[in-house]
Amino acid sequence: MISDNTKGKVKLTVLRIIVYAILAFLVFLCLFFFYLMIVNSSRSNAQLASGFTLLPKENFFTNLKNAWNDASINIPRGMLNSLIIALATAVLTTYFSALTAYGIHAYDFKGKRLVFTFIMAVMMIPAQVSALGFVQMMNELDLTNNYIPLIIPGIAAPVVFFYMKQYMESVLPLDLIAAARIDGSGEFHTFNFIVLPLLKPAIAVQMIFSFVSSWNNYFIPALLLDKAELKTVPIMIAQLRSADYSKFDMGKVYMFILLAILPVLITYILLSKSIIKGVTAGSVKG
Amino acid sequence: MKKVFAILLAALMLLSVVGCAEKTPSTPAATKAPDKPAEQGKVFNIYAWNEEFKGFFEKYYTIPEGVTVNWIINPSDNGVYQQKLDEALRNQDKASADEKIDLFLAEADYIGKYVNSNYTMDVTSFGFQNAPTQYEYTIKAASDDNGVCKGVSFQCCPAAVIYRKSIAMDILGTDDPVEVQAAMDNWEKFDALAAKAKEKGYYMTASFAETFRAFSNNCTKPWVDADNNLQFDPQITAWMDQTENYIKNGYTLTAGIWDTEKTNEMFKAGKTFCFFGPAWYYNFCMNNAMDPENGCVGDWRIVKGPQAYFWGGTWLLAATGSDNTDMLKEIFETFTVNEDVCSKLVSEQNQFPNNTKVVEKFAQDSSYGNTAILDGQNDIAIFAELAKDIKWENHTNYDQLLNEGLQNKLQEFYNGSVDKETAMKNFYNYVKETYANINVPEA
Amino acid sequence: MKKHANGSGRLPDRQLKSVSYAKWGYFFIIPFFVVYICFTLVPQFLTIYNSFFENYRDGLNEIGPNYVGLDNYETLFTADSSGTIRILKYTSNTMVMWFIGALPQFVIAMLLAIFFTSARLNIKGQGFFKTVIYMPNLIMAAAFSMLFFTLFSRVGPIQALLVEKGWIDASFDFFSHRITVRGMIAMMNFLMWFGNTTIVLMAGIMGIDQSLFESATLDGANAWQVFFRVTLPLLMPIFVYCLITAMIGGIQMFDVPQVLTKGNGAPNETTRTLVMYLNGYLANKNYGMAGAISVIIFIVTGALGGVVYRMLSAQYKDSSRQRRQRKGDVI
Repeated sequence: MISDNTKGKVKLTVLRIIVYAILAFLVFLCLFFFYLMIVNSSRSNAQLASGFTLLPKENFFTNLKNAWNDASINIPRGMLNSLIIALATAVLTTYFSALTAYGIHAYDFKGKRLVFTFIMAVMMIPAQVSALGFVQMMNELDLTNNYIPLIIPGIAAPVVFFYMKQYMESVLPLDLIAAARIDGSGEFHTFNFIVLPLLKPAIAVQMIFSFVSSWNNYFIPALLLDKAELKTVPIMIAQLRSADYSKFDMGKVYMFILLAILPVLITYILLSKSIIKGVTAGSVKG
Repeated sequence: MKKVFAILLAALMLLSVVGCAEKTPSTPAATKAPDKPAEQGKVFNIYAWNEEFKGFFEKYYTIPEGVTVNWIINPSDNGVYQQKLDEALRNQDKASADEKIDLFLAEADYIGKYVNSNYTMDVTSFGFQNAPTQYEYTIKAASDDNGVCKGVSFQCCPAAVIYRKSIAMDILGTDDPVEVQAAMDNWEKFDALAAKAKEKGYYMTASFAETFRAFSNNCTKPWVDADNNLQFDPQITAWMDQTENYIKNGYTLTAGIWDTEKTNEMFKAGKTFCFFGPAWYYNFCMNNAMDPENGCVGDWRIVKGPQAYFWGGTWLLAATGSDNTDMLKEIFETFTVNEDVCSKLVSEQNQFPNNTKVVEKFAQDSSYGNTAILDGQNDIAIFAELAKDIKWENHTNYDQLLNEGLQNKLQEFYNGSVDKETAMKNFYNYVKETYANINVPEA
Repeated sequence: MKKHANGSGRLPDRQLKSVSYAKWGYFFIIPFFVVYICFTLVPQFLTIYNSFFENYRDGLNEIGPNYVGLDNYETLFTADSSGTIRILKYTSNTMVMWFIGALPQFVIAMLLAIFFTSARLNIKGQGFFKTVIYMPNLIMAAAFSMLFFTLFSRVGPIQALLVEKGWIDASFDFFSHRITVRGMIAMMNFLMWFGNTTIVLMAGIMGIDQSLFESATLDGANAWQVFFRVTLPLLMPIFVYCLITAMIGGIQMFDVPQVLTKGNGAPNETTRTLVMYLNGYLANKNYGMAGAISVIIFIVTGALGGVVYRMLSAQYKDSSRQRRQRKGDVI
C-alpha cells in the first residue's frame, strides 16, 4: 500500500513537472514576441540594425517622442479616432443588443420565433461577404470618410444579442417586469432603469469585447477611410508596410506597434478576470 | 401571421434593393462647376501619396489668410493612392465646395491617366503660363494628347549613380568621379566592375531592382500596345537578364528597392558600392547614410553611370471643380518660376528644381557643393547635363502597377522561391486581376 | 401549451403581456432590424446582384455594369495557363494555413483544459496562466502581423539571433519559403486562439456533472478511460462548436497574411487567402469579380454557419428546458 502510494506520488510529481514545463513554454511563446517588441522600441535605428538583444536600451522615450510627433503617421490622432469609434460602437452594440434581446425575451408577439430564428441563422455570416455592397452603398450615400458606417451597424450585432438573451434568461424573472408595470413604470422606463442595471455584468463584458473588436478592425475601415485625420490605428499600422514609409527608423516602427496595442493591453491587464469569465459565458454553456 | 411578417420583410428588402439599384450606376454628372468662381474657397484639399511635397509646401508657400489646407495622404503601394484618388475625383461633382479636391499629386508612372481626363483642368484657365525655364519634358508629361497643360512639376528628376568613395578606392584604387565614371560608362563595364567588387567582398548594388529605372525609363515601346496587349521592351528584358546574372553571382541582394535590408546597406558598415537615384533620393532614401552614429556622410560621390535616365517626379495637377484657382496659380508659380524658392530647394533641400535658370546658376557656381551628403561635390552640374536628354515617351496609364508587379513577382524568382516561368505566370495573373482590359500572353 | 423561449410559465404574466404589451416587442426589435436591413441585408443582396454584371475600371472610366449572367463565376473557375484554378488554390491556402494553426490550437487547448480542471493535478497559478494565454487574442491582428514581419525580416532580431547561433545561414529568408511564411501565419493564429479555446473547453468540462466522473472512477476506470469514455463524449458538442466557429474564422483570414506579405501572398501566392483575393478586386473596383468571390465565401460560411445554428438551437432548447425546471435560479 505504502509503496503504491509513494509511486503514485512520484508519478504525480513527474506529471506536474511536465505540465508546468508545458505551461512555462506556452507562457514564453505568448510573451516573447511582445517582450522583443518592448525591447526593440527602446533601441535606436542604428542599434536595431546591429542585431538581437534581450536588454532594453535607453532610447524608449526618444522613440516615443518621434512616433508620437511623426508627421505622416499621426498616431495620437489615430488612437483618438479609434477610441471614438470603438467607444461609440461598444455603447450602441451593448445597448441595442440588450434592447432587442429584451424585446424577444419579455414580450410575446406574432413572428417572435421567426425573428429569433432569423437572428440565430445570420449570426455566423461574416462582414466580408457583404463588404462589396456595403462599400458601394456607402459611396452612393456619400458616407465614405465618415464614421457612421463604422459605428451604426453595431446596433445589429447578432452574437451580442444572443449573449444578452441567454443572460436575461438566467437573471431576469418576468415577474419583476410585471411588478414594475403594476408600479406604473412605462415599458422603456422599465428597460432602462430596472432591467439594464440587472444586466450590468453582461453589458460590461460585451462592451469590452465590442470595444476590442472595433479597435482592431481593419478590413472595412481600410475600404472606407482615406483622409489622414480620420484614419484609425490598424490602417496606420498596415501603412507601415508600404514603400513610402520605409525610410522610417525601425525604433519608431516598433513604437507604433506598441502604441497600437497598448490601450487594449492595459484594459486587459486591469480587467482580465471579468474578460476571461466573459469568454465562456458568451459562447456555449455546459 | 408569420407569413405576413415574412412577406413584409421580404418586400422591405426588395424595396431597398431596388431603391439602391436605381442609384447604383453612377456616371459623373454632366454639370460642371463654373470655370471661374467669383469667390475663392476657404478650404484647399490636396491629395498626395507621401509627405515629400508637403514639407516643401509648408516651408516655401505662404497660405493665404483664412484658408485651411487639408492633406489627404495614402500610400501608393498596390495602387492604393490611385484607387482612393480615382474615387474622390469621380465624386468631385457631388462633393461640396469645401470637400472638392483642389490639387493632387501624380507620378510619372500614371500621370497620363489624369491629364487625359476631364478631371484635370487647363492651367491657362486660371491664368498660369508655363515659363521657358521649365524643363520641356515636365510640361509634356502634364499635357494631354492635344497639348493642353494641366499642371506642373516642382522638380526635375534626372537620375545618376551615387557611389561610396571608400569602396571605390578599395576596388578601383581611385575615388575620383571622372575615373569612376570611366570605369562604368556602359553596362558591360558596369557588369565587369560588379565582378571586381564581388572579389573584394562588396555588392555592386543593394537591391535586385536597383537598376530597374535605368533600363525601364529608356524603353522604346510602351508596356501596352494599341490593341491592349502586354509587351516587353528590350530594355525590360535586358534588366531581367542583368538582374538574374547579378543574383546568380551574388553582385546584389534579393531585397526590394524600398526594403530596410537595402537601406541598411547605406550605413557606414554597408558593403554596397552603388545606389541609383535622382536628387530626391538623398532626403527620401538615404537617412541611414546621414545617421549621426553609424552613417557615412561625405563618403559619397555622384556620376552619370552606365545609362542616362530619369526616375519619378511629382507633378501638381489642377483638379477640375477647384474653387481655389488663385491659390493654384500661386502654388504653381512658387515652385516653378519663383527663383528664390527654386534656389532654396537646391541650397536647403538638395533638390533639383524645375527651373533651368536656377539650375544653370548652381551648375556654373564653383563655390556650390552638396554638403549634406556628397562632401561638396557639385551634383547640380551633373544632373543639369543629364536633364537635357530626358524625353517623355512610351508611357501608359498602367506603368506604376506593372513596374511594381513585375518587380514583386520576379523578386520571388530572384530569392529562389519559384522558377522564372512561375514568376512570369504570377505576373500575368496579377496583370489580369489588376487591369481586366489588358491582354496577357497565354492567360 | 405552446413552448416559449422565455423563462416564466405562469399564466397571469402571459395574459398581461399578450393582451396589452405585445406591440412593445416590435418597438424593441425595430432598431436592430432597421440597421440590419440597411447595413447588412441590402448590401448582401447588392453584392449578389453585382456578381452577375461585368463592372470594372479602366483608368478613371467605369466599364459596365453589363449583365453577363454567370460569366464571372465561369471566369473564377477557369484554369489559368498552367492549369491552376486560382480560387481553389486560395481556398486551399486558406484551409491549409488554418489547419496548421488549428491542429495545435485544439490539441493544446484540450490538454490545458484537462490540466486546469484536474483536481488531482491541482495546478497552481491558474489565474496567471489563463490571463497570459488569452492575452494574444485581444491583440490587433494587423499589429501582431507587423510585429512578426519586423522581427523575422532579413534585418530583424530573430534572423540575427539564429544566424549568430549558427542555426540558419545568413542568406536564409523567412519570407521566401512557403513553409516559413505559412508557419508564421499559422503560429500567429495559434497564439491568438489557443487561449480562447482552452477557456471555452474548460468551461465545458466544468459543466459536466461531477458525479459522472466519480461513478466512473468507482467502477474502476483509469484516467484515460474516464477521458475517452466520459469527458470526451460529453464535451463533443462544445468541441465541434468551437471547431466550426474556428473554421468560419479561418475562412475570413485576412489581416495577418495581408500585412505580413504586403498583400502579395508570397511566396508564389501560397499564402494568399480567399479574402485577400476578394480584397484585391474590391480595391480595384472590379465589382463583378468581387461579387462572385463574395458569393462563394457566403455559400461556404453559410453552410458552416448552418451547422453552428443547428447545434446552438438544440443546445438552446435544452438549456431553456433546464432553466424552466430550476425555477427562480439566478446565476
